[in-house]
Amino acid sequence: MTLMNFRDAEHLSAHLDGQLGPSETAQLESRLAVDAGLSQVLDDLRIAKGLLGRVPRRKAPRNFTLNPLDARVRAPQPRAVPVLRFAGALASLLFLVTVAVNGVAPLAARSLAAAPPPGYGVGGGMGGGEDQVEAPQESLAIAPAGTPMLAAPAAPQELSAPTAEAFAKGVAPVEASAPDARQAGRAPIPALWVLVLAIAAILLGGLSWYLDRLTGRNFRSNPLEK
Amino acid sequence: MDETALINEAQRGDLDAFNTLVLHYQDTLFNTARRILGDDELAADATQEAFISAFRSLRTFRGGSFKAWLMRTVTNAAYDELRRRKRRPTTALEPDGEDPEAIDEPRWLADPTLSPEETTEAHELEHAMEHCLEGLPFEYRAVVVMADVEGLDYAEVAAAVRVPLGTVKSRLARARLRLRDCLQGFEELLPAMFRLHHEPTS
Repeated sequence: MTLMNFRDAEHLSAHLDGQLGPSETAQLESRLAVDAGLSQVLDDLRIAKGLLGRVPRRKAPRNFTLNPLDARVRAPQPRAVPVLRFAGALASLLFLVTVAVNGVAPLAARSLAAAPPPGYGVGGGMGGGEDQVEAPQESLAIAPAGTPMLAAPAAPQELSAPTAEAFAKGVAPVEASAPDARQAGRAPIPALWVLVLAIAAILLGGLSWYLDRLTGRNFRSNPLEK
Repeated sequence: MDETALINEAQRGDLDAFNTLVLHYQDTLFNTARRILGDDELAADATQEAFISAFRSLRTFRGGSFKAWLMRTVTNAAYDELRRRKRRPTTALEPDGEDPEAIDEPRWLADPTLSPEETTEAHELEHAMEHCLEGLPFEYRAVVVMADVEGLDYAEVAAAVRVPLGTVKSRLARARLRLRDCLQGFEELLPAMFRLHHEPTS
């Protein structure tokens, strides 16, 4: 009789279930023929397995059939539904953003354009520094009395200069800002894009709702429980 | 019963088709849960949870043994029940106005096909097995219940518990050895034909 190790027990257990290969089976059977201890363990394992198989089975105490209302079970959704729903929500959000941008941006531009010019020469409120503030005063001081105001025609040339400088020289940039205002009055996002987003939001949302509803229609209540 | 067709219908959301499968497998799942948990109430809860979970995740079933797949759901549900029970141990309530003995042997469990002697024998055997199964670690218990009580083959058990075949083989051997040792303590209670013999065979 040999000392049984766990490997032997594993082989015996697998042998009971016919899970050993032909060579392993032959090897084990030759050992079983000469080893009474091994045979006894095999018998014990067989009895333990047999006992488990003899344990009386019971009928389920009740039916476990599902009722969608009681179990709060939702019908399995087609895979496309969450994707469509997300895409629809995204399209709706983008649509709202574009509408908001198109609505707010022109108003903001118009209000900027229509804002009264700052008080030029009244104290140099828009002046960048002392030099710029003092420049007109110098030119006025240098101009001899009785000399026609020649500085005025120079104003259009000054338009190309930075705005702050123009302001500092007392030139109101009204004619220059008019085309900008018209430009700014336009919607920044083309109407076509807004329309496309609106249609996409409606179509995607509608499609996900339709698929969801279609699945729910197949998801009937269980007549077996009634 | 065309199981594949029913599964396909159920995967498309047909609850009637799924409930036909439930009626077919509910005894198997309940018995498995009962052997793992050792408690009828918990087993019924685990079985219900398992079917709900199975329906919700039916889309993940990719063929193979549906029974093994269901076994996995009930094993998971039973494991959850065990963990819940460990967190919140409960005291069993006595039935209202009934014989306390009814807890051990409720009338609805009586099998009319068995004689009184056979019923007693089955009862004793069941108690001994329940005790010994409860002494096994969960992973051994699940494997031995599936293989030896419910008759799943090694591949199905491996699929159900998601372990390699070799692990199933090993766990099953260990579980049977432990059961053998445990059942030796109940030898006098067991019917003669099931008694483990230790006299050396010639």
